[in-house]
Parts: sequence; structure tokens; C-alpha cells
Amino acid sequence: MTPRRVVADELELGAGLEVLVAAALEGVAPGERLEVQVASPGIAHELAAWTRLAGHELVGQTASDGRRAAQRVTIRRGSARRVLGDEAPPRAEPLGADGRLGLDEVRAATGPAPAHAPPAGGLVPLGAIAEPGGPRYHWALSERDRLWARELALLAEIAAREQWDATEDIPWEAAAGLPDDVERAVSQVMTYIAQNEYAAFYVPARFLPQVNPQYAEVLLWLASHVHDEARHLEVFTKRAVAGGVRSHALASTELSLHTLLEEHDFSNAALLLNVLGEGTFLDLLRFVERHAPDAATATAARLAHRDERRHVHFGIAHVRRRIAGDPDAAAALVAAAEARAAKLTSLSGISPLLSEALTLMSARSRQPAELSEAAAEVQALLVTMHDNRQRRLRAAGFDPATARYLSELHTPNLM
Amino acid sequence: MTKLPVLVGCVAYHPRIVTIWEGFLPWFERAGAPTDYVLYSNYERLVDALLAGEVDIAWNTNTAYVAAEERIGGDAQVLAMRDVDADFATVIVTRRGEAFGHPGELAGRRLALGSRDSGHAAILPLHYLAQEGLDAASECELVRFDTDLGKHGDTGDSELHVLRALREGRADAGAIGDATWALLRTSAPQETDGLEIAWRSPTYYHCNFTALPSFEGGRAWAQALLTMSYDDASVRTEMDLEGVKRWLPADKSGYADLTAAMRAQGYL
Repeated sequence: MTPRRVVADELELGAGLEVLVAAALEGVAPGERLEVQVASPGIAHELAAWTRLAGHELVGQTASDGRRAAQRVTIRRGSARRVLGDEAPPRAEPLGADGRLGLDEVRAATGPAPAHAPPAGGLVPLGAIAEPGGPRYHWALSERDRLWARELALLAEIAAREQWDATEDIPWEAAAGLPDDVERAVSQVMTYIAQNEYAAFYVPARFLPQVNPQYAEVLLWLASHVHDEARHLEVFTKRAVAGGVRSHALASTELSLHTLLEEHDFSNAALLLNVLGEGTFLDLLRFVERHAPDAATATAARLAHRDERRHVHFGIAHVRRRIAGDPDAAAALVAAAEARAAKLTSLSGISPLLSEALTLMSARSRQPAELSEAAAEVQALLVTMHDNRQRRLRAAGFDPATARYLSELHTPNLM
Repeated sequence: MTKLPVLVGCVAYHPRIVTIWEGFLPWFERAGAPTDYVLYSNYERLVDALLAGEVDIAWNTNTAYVAAEERIGGDAQVLAMRDVDADFATVIVTRRGEAFGHPGELAGRRLALGSRDSGHAAILPLHYLAQEGLDAASECELVRFDTDLGKHGDTGDSELHVLRALREGRADAGAIGDATWALLRTSAPQETDGLEIAWRSPTYYHCNFTALPSFEGGRAWAQALLTMSYDDASVRTEMDLEGVKRWLPADKSGYADLTAAMRAQGYL
């Protein structure tokens, strides 16, 4: 059989010669030959050495016809495979033809998320072929149905699109100049929210490194969640101190959040954090936006609310999928809420410090008439929270009675 | 009955030797050829250990093998080698544009050599240049870099000195292994910057697994070794570290030049 030929001319080893020859050898079967024409004996000598190191065999090295110094090096391809694992499939149709490439399209082209991903598997991107021989991992979260939610990829993509900036996107100048007691009230509310955002940050962050790399959508989602919460704790921290006062991080809030951080089951955390906690915060943030005495506070609440809606959407979609797919899931989720409530028996009602701060912030003064109206608004907020929690729990697949029970069990700390 | 492991002696010229053999041992166990290894700090000690029966097999450089063969009396068993050990060559390197037409032109010039116990970077270059009619020891000014003695050039350190001397104008030509050249060209090109290969020697064998004639387990052990596959993920990293893609049966045909060279240069 006539050997394949490649002309390398002046190309030297380390400067492209080995790239050209290796690519040409890809098209040569083991045992078959490749002829390489090079410009000088020196290059032929180094190609001979490379050939041996690369697992091939030097068959011959002769002066080429015509040009004086040119050499013809003949290589027999060795049998060593450069990469272990399955062969790459033939080239397929390109993706993103309309100028947009969604993760769902990538998922559709590379195969569905497996129900069970190998817990020891490596960091293998979607569509890539794993080479055996890498180190073994121990991914604790390797079952799709314990993690998944409808529209997961879309949620992560929306999150990326809706990022904002806690340094430039808030009219910080508006935070100055409030009366002392109103500023103290705003600072206390902001401190309370920032404290809660820490929990909303740590809970998804702790699941992130446990998720099997095969579930790229879950990873992207959790990463966006963590990133959102990082910005929330940034913006509310900034607003808490921007007016020059300092407030308390309350121990009762800490107690509630501590139980959230102790939750190690992904779905339980989705119920307790996303559906119940962040769901309740949707109502709180809307209240703050509406009643804030300054545009900085209102803007921070509005932007955070937009993010929290995604988190709540995920929680509802995930819990709904779990309950629909597993007849025992609902009972287990209720048990998790009960277990948390049992640890929080020392909490009764919303912290007076918080409700008073919310009232003062809304009243914007100590005038009895304004205070009375604001106090009624705060009371109405708690009712709204209870109603909306039940609505979200029903959307997540719980029957109305269970939804009411779970909403009543929910922590008076709100998160 | 549990088989006693075959004891292989190696020289610890780099920490990776431990990685390699720790990785190989479970493979040998699975292959039905239980093996253990002992490390020595230099090839002279390893050859002494082989002769004394402390180890069953020595993973020798070509220089160590020839020395062992001489002491054994010509009956050593050579069991196997790496694919890269067949067709090994020495290259003479010069600054770019200063390549010579014939090695005889090096008379009166400065020739850099690697460690004096390195077959490929010192002993064989002198031998092959002599075959080309150049008695380099008397006709050239030899610039020797005798670093890492006892390691027989395995560390590659003396060859880096040779290339540096060329780049800095402290020598006009230098001898190194062709494998060293190819590796540096692709992974540390600054070491070969401004240099080129002027001449390549005939080929010879490099390392082999050597055993005493009395060792009976050698053939079976080598048969097992030859089945080790680069396509086996469990040893691929170790084979890469050892620089082998395929183990080959070895014979003594590739050591005649080195034996003659070592005799002529007073090593035997």
C-alpha cells in the first residue's frame, strides 16, 4: 500500500512539526506508514526521536529526490491510543443556528440528564467523552430526581441576564438625610434582611460542591442562586450602614437561620428556604419597596425581589416534581418542616424589634395617626404572608389543609 | 500457596520512581506475577545488589547492564525493555548555522559531553566519533559536565549543561540523547533555542531488565510485563512517567557498541 505523504518542509520540532505529523497520523491506521518530507537532515533526526517517543516506529530516513538537503522520513504508526475511552462520534449539525444557544438545546444535542450519574465520575462537560483513569470523586448528589426542576436551565439563563450591581445601580445618595429614628428603623430592617441573606447564601452554596457534574443545569442554577444572595447581602449590608447608624443582628433571627443551615437534604432545603423562607421574603421585600422612606432602600428591595422570585419559582417547581414523582415525598417534606418547628419553640411571633422597625420605617414619623396606619399595614403584611405561603404550597403540590398546616408551622422569623 | 514476589531493583533518580512502581505493583499482582521493588541511590549499588542476589531483577541503564554483564561473565539474562530503548541514538548539537558536514571537522573545536557514566551523552559519542575518524579525546577540547554521577544520565541534568554551554558559547558542539532533544524541543523549547542537530549516531539499545543466569522466574515475569497495555487506564499514568508505550522483549544485539566503547575507554 502506498504510504500517505505530508510535506513539512522547514517546520521543526516544537514549532509545529509534531502537530502536523500527529494530525496526519490520525488518518493512518496502526501499522500503516506515513512519509514526511522535511527540509534538512537535522529536522529528520529530531523527527526520528519524536517518532519513537510518540510510540511510532521509524521505518526509514532517506535523502529526498530533487532538493539537496531535503529528507524523506517514513513512519509506521504505532498501536498506542492517544486517548482512552469511546471514539468521538461523527460531526453533527451545528447548534445555535439562530444566533442564540440555550442550555436546553445543548442538552437535547448531547443526551438527556441521566437518572443516576456515576458518583465517582469526573468533571466531564456535557457532550464530552470521559477518558478512564482519572481520580475518583464521591458526588453525594448523583440522582437527578432529587435535584431537578422544570425549566431549570431557563431559570439559570434568566438569572445570568438579570444580574445587577449593588455599587452602581442603587441611588445611594438618596440614603442620606432621613430623620434619626426613621434611619434607625431602616437600618434595623436592612440588618435583619442582610442577616437572613447570609442563610440564603450558605444553604445553596453548601449543596453546590456535592452536585454531580453531569447535572450542569443544577450547578448553573445553584451558582446563580449563590451569586444572587451574595449581592443581596452586599446591598442590604450597604444600606444598613449607609445612613451612618448601626443595628443589631438579632439572636432570635440567628436561632431560626441556624436550623435552616442544619438542613442537609436538598429537597427539604428547597421547601424550607425557597418556598417558605424566600417566598415569605417576597412579600416582605414588596412591603419594603412600597413603604421605604428613600429611593436607595426601595431600589434595593425591588432588585432583590426580582431575584427572589426566581428562587421561589425554582423551589415550587422542584418540590412539585418531587411530590409528583414520589408518593412518600410529601410526608417527608412535612416531617422536615415539623422537625424545624420543633427546634424553634422558643420563638413566638415576629421579633418586636423588627415589627416596630417596620412600622417606624413605614410611618416615617412618630405621629400617632401615621403610626397607627403603619402598624395596621404591618399586621396586614403578616396576613398576606400567611395567605401567599399557602398559595405557594398548594402550587408546590400540597393539599389545602397541609398547605395551611405548613404555613402555620413556618418560623416567626419569616426566613 | 502464595508466590514469593519477584524483587526488582531500581535507581531512585527522581521521586516519580516511587509513583511508577507503586502504580505497577497492583498491576503485577493482578497479572499473576507478584512483584516488589527496592530502590538504590545509584547504578553501581544496584549492580552490586544484583550480583549479590539481593534483587532478582535490575532495571538497568545500558551502562549498568554492560558492567553487570562483564562481571557475570556474559551469561546475564536480559528480559525486556521499553519501546523507546530500541533505536536510541546520540545527537551532536551545534549552534544554528554552525552544523558541520562531517564529524572530522570538529577537530580542534570544543566538544561538550554529559556525565562520564552516561552511555548516550559521553561514552557512546566518543565511540561513534572515533568510528568517523575523530579521536575526540585528543583532537577536541572536551568540556565535561559530570553531574549526578551514579545516575548514568537518567536525570538529564548534564545534558542541560551541555546545551547551556552551547548557547553561551562555552562549547562548539555537544552530545546528548536524541530523546532528550525531542523532549526539550516540545516541552522546554528555550533549552534548545538557537541550536540544531548536526549529526545523529547509529542506533543502540538503552535500558533493560537484567537478571542473573540462575534466576528462574525471569522469563515468566517478562511475559507478564509484555502484556501491560498502554490502553489500560490503571497503568497509563505510570507508563507515561516511565516513558514507555509498549514493553518489548530484549536481546543483547544492541549493546555491542557500548561494550566496545566501555572497554576502550577503561570502564571495564
